Amino acid sequence: MQQQQRVIVVGGGLAGLAATVRIAEAGIPVDLFSMVPVKRSHSVCAQGGINACNEVARQQGYSEYQHFDETIYGGDYLADQGPVLEMANFAPKVIDLLDRMGVPFNRTNEGQRDLRLFGGSLFKRTHFSGATTGQQLLYALDEQTRRYEASGLVRKYEFWEFLWPIIEGEVDGLDGDGRCVGMVAQDMRTMQIRSFRGASVIMATGGCGLVFGKSTNSIICTGGAASRCYQAGAWYGNGEMIQVHPTAIPGADKCRLMSESARGEGGRVWVPRKKGDDRKPSDIPENERYYFLEEKYPAYGNLVPRDIATREIFDICVNEGMGVKGENQVYLDLTHKDPDYLTRKLGGIMEIYEKFAGDDPRHTPMRIFPAVHYSMGGIWTQYTPGTYTPGTQHGEHKPGMAAPVDAQPGQGMALGAPNNMMTNIPGLYAFGEVNFAYHGATRLGANALLSCIFDGLYCGVSVANYVTQGDPAERPIDSIDQGLYDAAVESEQAKMSRFIDTVDGAEVSDDTNPYLIGKEMGEEMEAACTVVKTEPRLKQCLDKLAELRERFSRARLPDSAAWTNQSLSYSRAVGDMLIMAEMIAKCSLLREESRGSHYRLDFPDRNDERFLKTTVASFNAQSQGAAQHDVSYRDVQTKLVKPRARTYGKVEKQEPAKTETPAKEAASV
Amino acid sequence: MASGPDTKPTLTPAQIQRHFLLRRLHSLTGLVPIGVFLVVHLVTNSSLAWGRFALRGKGEGLTVAEGGVKYFQHEVTFINESVPHLLLIEITLWVSIAFHSILGVVYATSGKSNLQRYPHQDNWRYTLQRISGYVGILFIFYHVATLRWGWTFLIPEGTKWSHSFSASTLAAAMQGSTEGFTIFGVAVSVLYMVGVTALVFHFANGLWTAAITWGITISAKAQKRWGIACAGLGAGLMLAGWSSLIATMTLDYDEAHLIERQMFIEKYGEAEYEAYVEQKGIETADPQPEQSTGSGGGE
Amino acid sequence: MIASQETASKGQHIRIRIKRSDGPGKPSYWQAFDVPREPGANIISCLQWIAAHPVTVDGEKTTPVVWDSGCLEEVCGACTMLINGGVRQSCSALISDIAPNDGDEITLEPMSKFPVIRDLWVDRQRLFDSLKRVQAWVPIDGSYSLGAGPKESPDKQGTRYTLSTCMSCGCCLEACPQYNLEEDESQWPTSFIGAAAISQARLFNEHETGKQLKRERLDALMGPGGVSDCGNAQNCVKVCPKEIPLTESISAMGRATTIHAITSWFRR
Repeated sequence: MQQQQRVIVVGGGLAGLAATVRIAEAGIPVDLFSMVPVKRSHSVCAQGGINACNEVARQQGYSEYQHFDETIYGGDYLADQGPVLEMANFAPKVIDLLDRMGVPFNRTNEGQRDLRLFGGSLFKRTHFSGATTGQQLLYALDEQTRRYEASGLVRKYEFWEFLWPIIEGEVDGLDGDGRCVGMVAQDMRTMQIRSFRGASVIMATGGCGLVFGKSTNSIICTGGAASRCYQAGAWYGNGEMIQVHPTAIPGADKCRLMSESARGEGGRVWVPRKKGDDRKPSDIPENERYYFLEEKYPAYGNLVPRDIATREIFDICVNEGMGVKGENQVYLDLTHKDPDYLTRKLGGIMEIYEKFAGDDPRHTPMRIFPAVHYSMGGIWTQYTPGTYTPGTQHGEHKPGMAAPVDAQPGQGMALGAPNNMMTNIPGLYAFGEVNFAYHGATRLGANALLSCIFDGLYCGVSVANYVTQGDPAERPIDSIDQGLYDAAVESEQAKMSRFIDTVDGAEVSDDTNPYLIGKEMGEEMEAACTVVKTEPRLKQCLDKLAELRERFSRARLPDSAAWTNQSLSYSRAVGDMLIMAEMIAKCSLLREESRGSHYRLDFPDRNDERFLKTTVASFNAQSQGAAQHDVSYRDVQTKLVKPRARTYGKVEKQEPAKTETPAKEAASV
Repeated sequence: MASGPDTKPTLTPAQIQRHFLLRRLHSLTGLVPIGVFLVVHLVTNSSLAWGRFALRGKGEGLTVAEGGVKYFQHEVTFINESVPHLLLIEITLWVSIAFHSILGVVYATSGKSNLQRYPHQDNWRYTLQRISGYVGILFIFYHVATLRWGWTFLIPEGTKWSHSFSASTLAAAMQGSTEGFTIFGVAVSVLYMVGVTALVFHFANGLWTAAITWGITISAKAQKRWGIACAGLGAGLMLAGWSSLIATMTLDYDEAHLIERQMFIEKYGEAEYEAYVEQKGIETADPQPEQSTGSGGGE
Repeated sequence: MIASQETASKGQHIRIRIKRSDGPGKPSYWQAFDVPREPGANIISCLQWIAAHPVTVDGEKTTPVVWDSGCLEEVCGACTMLINGGVRQSCSALISDIAPNDGDEITLEPMSKFPVIRDLWVDRQRLFDSLKRVQAWVPIDGSYSLGAGPKESPDKQGTRYTLSTCMSCGCCLEACPQYNLEEDESQWPTSFIGAAAISQARLFNEHETGKQLKRERLDALMGPGGVSDCGNAQNCVKVCPKEIPLTESISAMGRATTIHAITSWFRR
């Protein structure tokens, strides 16, 4: 065996850390890069839990296959089915492993792992650790990573920002001879830019919530790294699929999630009937309140499915302009309930609201608004199909039915195949939220944590195999001419200098202020490209983005410091986000149907004939403006489960839903 | 992967053990012998205030002050003449105090008080523990140097303490003269008040922290309960300390000396007394005023 | 005051005084900014506003203030700083609570126990290193499937969960009078480790598999800078945003080290 080649992991959330642990365990040294100490990655924000089939559910008729079916159905058939099957089959192993790592999963009296009901299933299949499951999972992986760091196998580069992948050869979709052999990164403190050699680079950089301004995402989730890979030739899949959560607490800095259980416990959604009514909510008499969900949906009332709630709230504020105090917010009112009851049933979320909104929801109605939550789309990845290929597609899978396939590894996606979750650029992988592969058009609740860890563990083996047996084994990375790396560094240095040179003491106008350009982009994207999309609005959005891109080309930095220049880092990301935003808007415009979280008012139905396809965007640097985004479609692999129709009102469409939904499905047959 | 990639500590086991041993010995010496001695010492001294009542029949006709002197002198004589291995005990005590003080200063200087930012009660006690430690060291040094080692130059008018005339010479040392308070006497008394208060606080609070250090009180509730117990003990010791101080400060030298003189003469005879006061330079009191204090003194 | 009159016409504002520094070893200086009052504003949103409008109250053009932040939901620990002198996360510091009136002043300073990188951003690497010092991990046999972990009672899970919510923000260290700024990395292994890592040692000693490294962890806590260097000021537990019973952990580790010392003495 030749000397060990290193692997680069970019991003230290669940996906990045799981990959790091798996690859280091194979004896391959890892360089782990993160813009924040990995323990502070965005995975900490996940609250609900992580799905996996378990013994109790199994004995009631649940199976890994049922989990797979739910995920595909939830994602409106837009995900390739092989990898999803593999993920569902692998899920119990993920839970066991996390358990062994010491995650304090909630326990039953007997000391077994406790389970809770979660959206989209009749069965308790969601494992959880208090109200901060994501945090607990991340910490467990952080600890294992630290263990490898202490042993010298993992080198952490925290506060380092990924700038560009280094590619040897030409990238041309799936046909080029290019391969990723390293990357350029910048130390956010010293501002040093340098190259790193890596036999493979794993992008585990999360979502792009900041493209939409205020989202539920962390401040680091700009999507900048994904955008840079996209600009370097990596394909981007299903960019238009952005999940919006109906109830979030709008803050001046970000939106924080408000659990759906507030509505479940009797919360009523309303706005004042009179536009711009400035009175305190308690001063507005009952007949001057507009309980719009109850009036429009007498049967379901406030308990309409998530996507409808999201659209109605959005509509009342954005289109009708009836939001509370003219802002984008509606009341979610629990004040008619007994305060003690609320404390007992909803203590945790009452506290969150009090802490961040400053009001006591037991006495003052909460003010909420939908917020961008998750990006199903991401860097396009490939895989080697598994061994399970039924001759005909299966129909709907019902609980209790025998699973047509067992849960052995390799049924859905070949175990250890080097190209699993590899982008169209050999050597460059995408794991976790930045990977488009698992959630189709909308994500089921408590599946996000699973997909991140699954990628890291299952496909980490693929990376190890690629490094030890694939291309880098034949053409070692060390033998590549240093000139390639130096040129990449120079190119990034030149980009930085161009920014720094804009600082010349002259007044920064609003027109060229990168912070304001970023803000305007967020506002535009949120308004045009989230809950309700229409052709005219999307076109208008593309015009606005073109204007912003033009203004950005003249942007002036407010800081020329050669030390810890945060405005450089932010401004550079704004440029990349603008490109991402434009691609998302263009993909939204071209998908003339409604599917999952993508809702086109002008095309309200799903159109399998034209659009049961993955949107693939590729960046054409030679072009200008929106023409830079070449959008094409690739067939979705639906060999296992036959797509079935879904109707609104009857069927829960989005993530963590009420459990009655599948119950109805089961009962309807 | 059979064995984990776990790290090895950078310090040698010996370094670790030594550090731990010193820390724990520091804590232990504060409790035993220093703390125990402090309790015995304060209780003994406070007998100046309550001794009259402990004398029962033997103290009939004596004032509270006179009875206190009698009982106190009796105690002091017992300690000095009947407690075995007194020198060994004293050496142990001094070594312990020196050890506790030196390490205490080293430890205290490793921290930096931040009361302005975090003015919690516990933080106040953290700071006061260190201040009281410094004050205590200075006070103990003065106390022992003047009254035990006879560094009389540190005492106004140079009164030397004698264990046979314990109460009177103590009163003189604190009041600054045998004739009552002088300006220096006030200073010495204030030093005693501050010193005793500091040491009692230091001990009571140290008892509370020791229970955490040794892992006796783990839960916050247990820590709170033990805190109340320590506060109670501290209050009791404070009472003992202050009552002995007040008793000493209000003691009349002559009155006390006469009681002690009588006890001395009863034990060794008049001639010994004359020789002793001569040799030690103890100022005698005129036995005449006996009459003026009533009939009690003669019995 | 001139500047405040200008902004007053546009509505209410908050004055934010910030202790800044251009980098390690550079002198610190104060700058004040008037930030318009926004509903739901917190320190983060004010700093974001300043980044987009970096002009001081004196009308002087300056650079955006540098600070560290992440989740903005008080679960990542990044945005910890001194707000009006006290240590806390800036995301959960609501303007309506700490500066309710027009023109109220708020002071922001970087944490004082960690080296400043720039402005309000400090380097907390020592904190993460301390987790290595106590081997804060479960020594599992690798990440391949080997069945479930050990069973655990709900009580014990509750205890461990609480300890495990520590987000390494450093509040307990900032408030600790025994924990001092130490820029020399070589001194870290023997400087006071602080409540966070002591509590983590307890967390892993409580775990059935984590226990295997118990002796190593206790050795680390017995040495210089270990648990016995605690001065019992108990500030840690009062400033902990996650209400972790840090003083209980300290005492529990005090007991464990006592027993460990005695048993290892007899084992020799």
